[in-house]
Amino acid sequence: MRVIYTVQKVIVRGESRLISASHFAKAYQDVINAFKQWRIWVLLGWQDIQLRYRRSMLGPFWLTLSMAITIYSMGFLYGHLFKMDLQSYFPYLATGILTWNLISTSLIEATDSFVNSEAYIKQIKLPYSCFILRMIFRNTVIFLHNVLAFIPLIFIFHIPINGYSLLILPALLLICFNIAVYGNVLAIIGTRYRDIAPIINSLIQVTFFLTPIMWMPSLLPDRYHFAVHWNPFAHFLNLLRQPLLGQPLSSDTLYMVAIITVLGVILFSLLFAKARSRIIYWL
Amino acid sequence: MAAINLDSVTIEFPIYNMDARSLKKRLISFSTGGTLLKGAHETIIVKALDNINIKLENNDSVGLIGSNGAGKSTLLRLLAGIYEPTQGKMSVKGRISTILDMSLGLNPEATGYENIIMRGILLGYTKKQILAKLDEIAEFTELGGYLSAPVRTYSTGMMVRLAFSVVTSIEPEILLLDEIVGAGDAGFIEKARTRLTNLIKNSNIVVLSSHSLEIIEQLCNKVIILQKGQLKFFGDCKEGVEKYRKHAY
Repeated sequence: MRVIYTVQKVIVRGESRLISASHFAKAYQDVINAFKQWRIWVLLGWQDIQLRYRRSMLGPFWLTLSMAITIYSMGFLYGHLFKMDLQSYFPYLATGILTWNLISTSLIEATDSFVNSEAYIKQIKLPYSCFILRMIFRNTVIFLHNVLAFIPLIFIFHIPINGYSLLILPALLLICFNIAVYGNVLAIIGTRYRDIAPIINSLIQVTFFLTPIMWMPSLLPDRYHFAVHWNPFAHFLNLLRQPLLGQPLSSDTLYMVAIITVLGVILFSLLFAKARSRIIYWL
Repeated sequence: MAAINLDSVTIEFPIYNMDARSLKKRLISFSTGGTLLKGAHETIIVKALDNINIKLENNDSVGLIGSNGAGKSTLLRLLAGIYEPTQGKMSVKGRISTILDMSLGLNPEATGYENIIMRGILLGYTKKQILAKLDEIAEFTELGGYLSAPVRTYSTGMMVRLAFSVVTSIEPEILLLDEIVGAGDAGFIEKARTRLTNLIKNSNIVVLSSHSLEIIEQLCNKVIILQKGQLKFFGDCKEGVEKYRKHAY
């Protein structure tokens, strides 16, 4: 046997790497380049959807259909189980499920978005952010298909369309921004530690029940209200749900969303600057 | 104008064992002060390229030779910008096109045509520009009707034809090929050779690795010999191939 490499064993834990200005500059460049090369992630994201539904008759409108079935069956079932007024509960549940679907799917898929793009990453020099944007683009398109299932409810329950409805687009953008920032963080950690993906998956499942999607916070005794107040998912859900229902945004939600967004940007900048050039070796 | 300049470039990369890849195991070892699972976060660092100095200019066609694990693929990935040097400086000027592994960056579920368009966009072209070249690329592949079928139904040779046709049709200034030219049937190899020769004439840089010294002798004017991550020879093709044969690195 020939020894092929010069091998030295080192203990990585003792190693400390400082983040320099050039790390930040390269990380920043990565993000900027990803936006410049929008054709790439739009194409890849679009193709993901096309390939998934290629052999089906309805195409991506399967999404709309299955979302409609979920919303309408759950609306009736839980409306009666919780003995809620369907007039308010039905739209509440529908907007909750729609928004939750976007956020949860994106976070789960973010975790292995670098791992799944290995074939591209090892072949062509592309900004890493491209693969996050691809995932977001895909899930936003899916969200837009899903929203179609909500339209009949507007007429059935006379959901108001007013000035607050204008906030739908900025709210969606803000959610996508946060998915990008936190999704990138999850993608980096998920590439380094391969057991993260199943952990995130089960956390998301638990969060579904802890977050007011199917139930209303008003059902909760006062002393447990903190569980909603400090739940970031509850606020991001509100951010899109309230404009969809033609309601004003609560100030609580705005503050929480602002804080979480700033934290996310800081976390992302630090981690991405430090880890960006290492991601390839973790694949 | 294409140019590549490597100035004492070193690449070291970590190879993780399964324990180091698990967050759970890392946390356990952390909470027990690292004594329970000794070695759980010991990572082997491999010096894949060691202090490499290379200067490539227009019309250079370079053959990479060396035994398995000598660092050929690492060097190609470094030139492609996929690996970043851990030490030293590197500058690469020119639009790069690559075929670096047998997955070729093709999407197995998409058709041949879709893959052509996708690869073009990945290389920074607009859909219009690629559509304008589509017929020419399709003709070069000689795949005919198969181009409408998903790539997963292709044989390896067919995939190589497709990938090679795309990356060479869109006029790369720097073309990097890893063990590609040897694949495919004799007819295609001949065609590929003509196309590469033309590319090289048009003042582009081509770097290709191959275990076949014949292919390198026919296509290249320079040779890089790598051994255990170190540059053993960089210079004239004939001289290098002779040296390689004699020493059998």
